[in-house]
Amino acid sequence: MKWSRLLSLLASFLVTALFVLAWKLVADYKLVSPVFLPGPDRAWTSLVRGFTTGDLGVKFLATVERMFWGWLIASLIGVALGAAIGTSPKLRAYLAPMLEFLRPLPASATIPVAIAVLGLSDGMVLAVIAFGALWPVLLATIHGFAAVEPRLYEVGRALRLSRATVIAKIALPSASPDILAGMRLGLTVALILSVVCEMIAGRDGLGNWILLAARSFRAPDLYAGVILLGLLGYFTAIAIGLLEARLLVWRSRAR
Amino acid sequence: MNTSNDAAIVFDRVSLAYGGRPIISDLSLDVGRGEIVCIIGPSGCGKTTALRMAGGLVRPLDGTVRVLGEPLTEPRRDVAIVFQDYGKALLPWRTAAANVSLALEAAGTPRSERPERIRTLLAKVGLASHEDKYPTEMSGGMQQRIQIARCLAQDPAVLLMDEPFGALDAMTRQGLQDEMLSIVAETGATVFFVTHDLEEAVYLGDRVIGLLPNPGRIGIDLKVDLPRPRDQLETREMPEFLRLRRTLFDFIEKAEA
Ligand SMILES: Nc1ncnc2c1ncn2[C@@H]1O[C@H](COP(=O)(O)OP(=O)(O)OP(=O)(O)O)[C@@H](O)[C@H]1O
Ligand SMILES: [Mg+2]
Repeated sequence: MKWSRLLSLLASFLVTALFVLAWKLVADYKLVSPVFLPGPDRAWTSLVRGFTTGDLGVKFLATVERMFWGWLIASLIGVALGAAIGTSPKLRAYLAPMLEFLRPLPASATIPVAIAVLGLSDGMVLAVIAFGALWPVLLATIHGFAAVEPRLYEVGRALRLSRATVIAKIALPSASPDILAGMRLGLTVALILSVVCEMIAGRDGLGNWILLAARSFRAPDLYAGVILLGLLGYFTAIAIGLLEARLLVWRSRAR
Repeated sequence: MNTSNDAAIVFDRVSLAYGGRPIISDLSLDVGRGEIVCIIGPSGCGKTTALRMAGGLVRPLDGTVRVLGEPLTEPRRDVAIVFQDYGKALLPWRTAAANVSLALEAAGTPRSERPERIRTLLAKVGLASHEDKYPTEMSGGMQQRIQIARCLAQDPAVLLMDEPFGALDAMTRQGLQDEMLSIVAETGATVFFVTHDLEEAVYLGDRVIGLLPNPGRIGIDLKVDLPRPRDQLETREMPEFLRLRRTLFDFIEKAEA
């Protein structure tokens, strides 16, 4: 168990190293024009420079903040709404068709609407992010609450638990694997929308940095931004993975 | 029907239908306090339904169910239900101890008193060293023991058990039968025990009641005059045990025909 984990970690490092090497070779032999593809060394230098002398750090934090708040709002609303809908078969029957209609709408399609209503403001950006990240959380929560073992509700009845207690002690923990899976998806959506909104609405952040770098043919800067985005996505996924592992010990301990 | 007021469970001319189909019809039955009554009958005759009515999970369409002298409209905390599907009736995200704790939390037992009581209860069902295990880490027999411990945490005056040992292997089942008998002897609880196993019914019961199907009604009401404490080998070899088993076997054969 321990060894196989170490081995797979080693393998993933190796793959990453090979990828960077291939990138370096392609750039060094100018298989792609250096105007469009700088080598990893130049991208790295640009990344370091951006953090030390430039304002890349500020822009990075702006994107992180935007993503986080949008995701948090989406998660809170998604779980609360999902709990209400998931525990009520009636609400579910009424709302299901509308949810199915709204769900496949690409979240970026809401940006023009949001701009029209809220203007080019930070509030608009937050609304779009929260709206987009809401769906995965909401749908997963509804499913999680609807799938609670009916027998457990009977146990709650037999013990005369109040409705609030049943939700807190039975339904919510039972739905938590689904909810966390939804929140994980929501975080990805929040990151994507943060970047897209920054590009479209010209808010300060990584998305804007990448767009400006591309427009002025500063390819190393562009790649520095992309690398940073990749890292951000990677580490948030790891963070949520750790949270899941902590909250769902009982799942991993199953035989 | 002379419904004595000091009976633990009274079914008074109870009827129930699902979607217009009568499931239980005109069922009258008294279970005395401290009595162990076993219910047998062919599959689908309404055993589980009767038990759920005694637990307040289902309301009869007609007639009344009284528990400890009071008409039953909702589940009561002093009536504990042991479900057959222990795998579904336990909270998988709680350890054995925390599962038992749920009943104490429901009863408003002060936090400081819970660990001690949980330890006592788990020890009583033979799970002393397994407090911190999750249900999924335990065998079926151990999971059912958790559920029984949780029910005992309710301090029940009445225990309703729906084929609690039906899914367990023979050895585990016999062990749990004896544990249950000694716990019940200790607490003086009334037991309403549904089973498919005729021998189990005779072995455990003070009385065995056989239901007839379509709609469910009482077909046979046998008194079990076997000495207590009962013994897995001796009791099962007694002529009276064999006679009762034979009578019930004949009853079931006719009921299923
Ligand atoms: N919620 C329900 N809705 C409709 N019909 C039901 C419901 N619950 C039980 N029934 C029907 O009522 C009848 C009696 O069911 P019940 O579960 O009480 O039987 P049982 O004697 O416990 O059977 P078994 O020995 O198989 O457990 C069955 O025919 C069953 O199909
Ligand atoms: Mg049944």
